[in-house]
Amino acid sequence: MVAATIGKVIKYLFRKPYTRLVPESQPPLKLENTRGRHVLDMSKCTGCSMCQAVCPANSIDMVFVEGNWPQNKRSRFPRIDLHKCTFCGLCVEYCPFSALSMTDLTGFELYTRDKSSTIYYPIDLSKIPEGAQVRITITKDKFKASEEGKAELGGGGLGSS
Amino acid sequence: MVGEQTAKQVELFFGPQHPGVPGNVGFKLWLDGERVVDVELIPGFLFRGFEKMMENRTWEMNIVMCYRFCVEDPDNLEVAYAEAVDRIFKVEVPEKAKYIRMIMAEFSRIASHLFWANFMSGGVGLRTTGYWAIAAREEILKWFARVTGHRIYHSFSVPGGVRWDVPRDFRDKTLDLANKVEDIVKDIEEALLRNPVFKARTKNVGVLKAEDAIRLGVTGPSLRAGGMPYDIRKAVPYENYDKVKFNVPVGENGDSYERSVIRFKEIHESLNIIRQSVEEVKPGAPYRVKLPLTAPAGVGISRVESARGEYMIHVISMGVMKAERVGDKYVVHFTGQGGRKPYRVRLRSVSLPLLTTVLKHIVRNEEVTIADFPVIVKSLDPCPPDIDR
Repeated sequence: MVAATIGKVIKYLFRKPYTRLVPESQPPLKLENTRGRHVLDMSKCTGCSMCQAVCPANSIDMVFVEGNWPQNKRSRFPRIDLHKCTFCGLCVEYCPFSALSMTDLTGFELYTRDKSSTIYYPIDLSKIPEGAQVRITITKDKFKASEEGKAELGGGGLGSS
Repeated sequence: MVGEQTAKQVELFFGPQHPGVPGNVGFKLWLDGERVVDVELIPGFLFRGFEKMMENRTWEMNIVMCYRFCVEDPDNLEVAYAEAVDRIFKVEVPEKAKYIRMIMAEFSRIASHLFWANFMSGGVGLRTTGYWAIAAREEILKWFARVTGHRIYHSFSVPGGVRWDVPRDFRDKTLDLANKVEDIVKDIEEALLRNPVFKARTKNVGVLKAEDAIRLGVTGPSLRAGGMPYDIRKAVPYENYDKVKFNVPVGENGDSYERSVIRFKEIHESLNIIRQSVEEVKPGAPYRVKLPLTAPAGVGISRVESARGEYMIHVISMGVMKAERVGDKYVVHFTGQGGRKPYRVRLRSVSLPLLTTVLKHIVRNEEVTIADFPVIVKSLDPCPPDIDR
């Protein structure tokens, strides 16, 4: 009956809206496992190019960085084009030295107006923007348990919505 | 029908930028007054050559490619690809991983059906229920973001298991979500399926009987609505679908209304499967087998029941080298991929028969007006990306 439809409609009129007002009242949805912008630990990276080899979107290039890096004789570090990146996390999973990890910087926080500024050079990747509340979400440790075949007792809690 | 055109007939381009088409495809309609006389599909707007691109990427990298065949129902394709590769590597996936994959696949099916409910309600002009369906889908996407890290493309089911362990409160949150979704779905059923306007628009419109559906190569809810209880999850069980109890909803007439009812019934069956599977996800159990870098030579075929029907993924691995006897000598071929990449990946498209042969069959066998056309197309629920891929 049409009356049943109208009854349900009136019920839904008084419900809390599901729409989230981003960024006016709420930040983008950030959770324990959110895969966002990468962070590079330049003191660990040896320039082995594994991240470049496993990237399915070819978004990683190895570039030269001035400076003295004892563990990285050729001074080559990954440069990530976030415009191409699919945020799959394979570079984090395959990095043999745990140099790459992912943060929960996502959504409009990565927004830019021109394509050239989506390319993050190693120096930019090693810094976390100041003032922003950023936590590191995906690290190599998340995949280590599975590699050794060990059981892992869950990640963090799901948190509140 | 081009040769049979008469002066009375009008050629009309319908889509791709039209709310009445299911996505990035167009149609060429031949109209005789209000009546649609013939229809032709115009595909190719989404061609990206994924099958070829997958030949240049390693087994794990391809997970990022395989779900792009169908955006609305990604996890069933992930499971299909992961299953096929597991068969090539001949690994036994841990039980926990199988159940997690099933839960992912079922939530993906529900999300896809809810997205369809939005389009279907829009197609008949009842937008209100569409917004409720999107609200329920939003809850599912938030759950996906919590567990896998992404909303739409999860890359969670990988060859050998699942990528990481589920959070500690996985069981409670999953059951909560199932209850939330069920409440909204019941309201949509009440408001949409019992609505006389919806019934008038869809009953006896776009009839596809089982015998025609089998002849035209249709699978999934469109086939079951015609009265054929065929479901890959029952016929050729994969993962642990043989260990859970569920029914296969079957219709009778095969019209647009039956197809809509079947999809809502399937949501309830999927929730049923999720409630059984989530109890089997034991904390602390192993969830992944690490695969070697190179695969042996072999063929992996997997068939999954996605939201739209049967997807078959066929993966061929040539192995590192192959010895062949020529006369009295052995010749060793080193294959270009070296066992690290698939030699060939093929996908059986679900939507191609729906939009080509089925639409032609319906248009030629009953009187379809231009207003009925979007309703029929939407009730078939095609996914254009898997036609072009």
